[in-house]
Amino acid sequence: MRRSTAWGIFLLASVILGVFFVWPLARVISGGFFHEGRFTLRYLIGVFQNPIYAEGLRNSLLLGLGTTVLAVGIGLPLAWLANRYEFPGKTWLTGLLLVPMILPPFVGAIGLQQILGQYGALNTALGLGPVDWLGQGRYFGVILLQALGLYPILYLNAAAALANVDPAMEEAAENLGCSGFRKFRRITLPLIMPGLFAGGTIVFIWSFTELGTPLIMNYTRCAPVQVYDALKEIGSNPFPFALVCVMLVCSVLLYTASKLLFGRQAYAMQSKAAVVFAARRVTGWRALIVALPFVAVIAVALLPHAGVILTSFAAPGSWYRSVLPEVWTTGNYVEALGHGMTVGSIRNSLLFSGLAVLVNVGLGIAIAFVVVRSNLRLRGVLDALAMLPLAVPGLVMAFGYLALSSMLSNTALVKGSVPLQHLLDVRVNPTLFLVIAYAMRRLPYVVRAAVAGLQQTSVTLEESAANLGAAPLTVVRRITLPLIMANLIAGALLAFAFSMLEVSDSLMLAQRMDYYPITKTIYELFQMIGTGKFVAAALGVWAMLFLAVTILGSSLLLGKKLGAIFRV
Amino acid sequence: MAVSVDIDKVSKRFGEARAVDGVSLRIEPGELFFLLGPSGCGKTTLLRCVAGFYTPDGGTIRIGERDVTQLPPHVRDTGMVFQSYALWPHLTVSQNVAFGLEMRHVARGEVDRRVAEALELVRMTDRAKHKPNQLSGGQQQRVALARALVIRPQCLLLDEPLSNLDAKLRLEMRAEIRRICKEAGLTAIYVTHDQKEALSIADRLAVMHEGRLLQVGAPREVYLRPANRFVANFIGETNFLPAEVAEVGGGRVRMRTAIGILESAMPAAAVTQGSRVTLSIRPEVIRFDVPPAGAPNVLTGTVHDTVYLGEVAQHHVRIESREGGGDMQWKAFDLNPRILARDRVETARIWIAPEDVAVLTE
Repeated sequence: MRRSTAWGIFLLASVILGVFFVWPLARVISGGFFHEGRFTLRYLIGVFQNPIYAEGLRNSLLLGLGTTVLAVGIGLPLAWLANRYEFPGKTWLTGLLLVPMILPPFVGAIGLQQILGQYGALNTALGLGPVDWLGQGRYFGVILLQALGLYPILYLNAAAALANVDPAMEEAAENLGCSGFRKFRRITLPLIMPGLFAGGTIVFIWSFTELGTPLIMNYTRCAPVQVYDALKEIGSNPFPFALVCVMLVCSVLLYTASKLLFGRQAYAMQSKAAVVFAARRVTGWRALIVALPFVAVIAVALLPHAGVILTSFAAPGSWYRSVLPEVWTTGNYVEALGHGMTVGSIRNSLLFSGLAVLVNVGLGIAIAFVVVRSNLRLRGVLDALAMLPLAVPGLVMAFGYLALSSMLSNTALVKGSVPLQHLLDVRVNPTLFLVIAYAMRRLPYVVRAAVAGLQQTSVTLEESAANLGAAPLTVVRRITLPLIMANLIAGALLAFAFSMLEVSDSLMLAQRMDYYPITKTIYELFQMIGTGKFVAAALGVWAMLFLAVTILGSSLLLGKKLGAIFRV
Repeated sequence: MAVSVDIDKVSKRFGEARAVDGVSLRIEPGELFFLLGPSGCGKTTLLRCVAGFYTPDGGTIRIGERDVTQLPPHVRDTGMVFQSYALWPHLTVSQNVAFGLEMRHVARGEVDRRVAEALELVRMTDRAKHKPNQLSGGQQQRVALARALVIRPQCLLLDEPLSNLDAKLRLEMRAEIRRICKEAGLTAIYVTHDQKEALSIADRLAVMHEGRLLQVGAPREVYLRPANRFVANFIGETNFLPAEVAEVGGGRVRMRTAIGILESAMPAAAVTQGSRVTLSIRPEVIRFDVPPAGAPNVLTGTVHDTVYLGEVAQHHVRIESREGGGDMQWKAFDLNPRILARDRVETARIWIAPEDVAVLTE
């Protein structure tokens, strides 16, 4: 790659990331730390002195920790079993394990409430009174829901890390007299720690700042909900800024710690394994014992989905104090497709996510080229910058975009121009900011996918094309892109799927019904008395189906490398 | 105390493939024993059966007096050096080496002393605090060796330990490994596909092919008197020549071949008149000097395609068939070559001492 081209792409990408990623963050930080142009710590101190904010932060931290611990507890043993044993139905079970990813946890909450709520299916089935399985400790309810939705990320990371361990590492331990759990603790666990920590970091950042689930579960005493409730005062109240800053700092610190503790290549195996590890084949009752944890986790994890599906087929009001809905109907689907809000939201989500993916693919390829194929000394900086959105919670980004939009739309220039208002004021039209938010949030997936593709593609393939007379752009178009196409499609599909699922950006940035994406619509419908919840469920099922197909497609394309996408 | 390793009729199948097929072998106490063969011959599988990573489908393995066939690896008390070294990247050099001692509940002070000793032995004392990925390949190899040795195993197992090193380091390390094994009086099994490694430091070696032992013996014996074509061809280079025994007697065998009568003073055990055999004539035994008067095995050939390598010239010698069955094309090494075939083809008189003609019956 020519140096001038590399510099050109580098500068362009840096400017784009600077404007659309760094600037909003800078708005958040300046809102939290500056008063009339001067640095101050009083808002920050105020956050910790205010008992409500302090409690919210503490609760959120506990939510994040609890969710991560539970997700590790679910994901790690399953990954270990899948790594060690070969049993009938394994492909199906390990595939089903990933299904929770097709539904944002907060939509699952609707279904879970139907089943575990006071007058839900479980209590009726067991003939119990109004035992509140979720309400009493809403805290545990939120953790359970989030962990059930997020453990696949941990599972994928742990599975990939285990697969990377040279079997000779463990054999050497056995040879020296170490076996069983001790071998796992002394050798295997430290070796997979980077992967585990990477997955744990994502799960923590996600659950620490999760907005949707606490909202639906009516758990208001946590920081994200407090920020959401304070959005109306974004122009006047500096405390939400400070609160968001604290969340940002926590997330970035954790991300940095994981980077410092486990540099990307730290434990890269030093040589190819001489012996390929063969999972032990088990049959009969042994296979049942191994498969049981998978079945149990899948059964519980799919409970919210089952609840949503059942709700979507229940006539409004007919699933109350009964095990199953008493009156079945497809009317919710009819209403979902007839409702102006829902149809519009599907169109909006497709449009926003589609545009975001286009931005991502273009930007991702360009960045990956500089990172892999150039020798710029600063290429590492660009790589790190493109990965940074993983460390920044969606809530923080959304808040930053909101702050940016509110600042820009208060300028005289924007106030005087209707087209500019449509572009920059989210209260008028959030399209630009939603597309940017979706794109920035999922950029790391596409960059990682493209980088992986380029690294696997020998540069000599490109050189030979150039040698035969192909100009640089022709080489890219005819040789490089076709070779990395599978990676790109997979990364793009995932980015698309997760954009469709984006919760905090959607809830916060979309403020006019005409521009609601699916997730916001589901939330709004849920709050409507009467048929709302049931139509929301029908819309949720539609989204689930759609995402199932997308994720299935990308996992077919990526094969076992799916886990690599969720690595920090 | 060094112990013997007894392998008795051990078999190991993977699906339909017989990786090890009824192998019996006794390795003497204190012996440096090599399993030699091309990749896929079953040598690593056999070694892993001894280490306990595979359980044989049949047969027994004893280390000393103990039948270990069904024992898990961690109680076998073997020290293994892996091809990839398998040094744990999250532990330092000395932690790696100390690991096996900790598993044996050796007292702290004793651990420190023995780790220092082991690192001293492999000359890695100054790298004790380093992490494995800060070391070069040769250094990693030595740490792996120290880690296996420090537990004073009953038997040292080495799985292609030098295959990841460059040529010069390999030479150094193989002498080093022999020195260490002999100093410690260890019984060691060493797996390799590199015949030079085996010939240079083995006490005895076994050549394996398709899961079976083809020949077991001292390096010299196996090289000079290969049991069959495969062994002759796998260890060193050789020229084959089909022959029929014409006359046996006086410690000599005279054989009819396509290029005339050849005589061997190194007959295989059971040859009788009329039996069909194969002669193996190593390139380096073909001589270009003047044969003594009355010497047998004097031939005339044309030399072409000479490759000059400094200490040796490799000639291709064509020897005309007397029976019209096509010419023989032989490879011959001329050590310290003074006369070279130049571009043109030269006629040369060559001869082979009867002591250098090996007779293969298989």
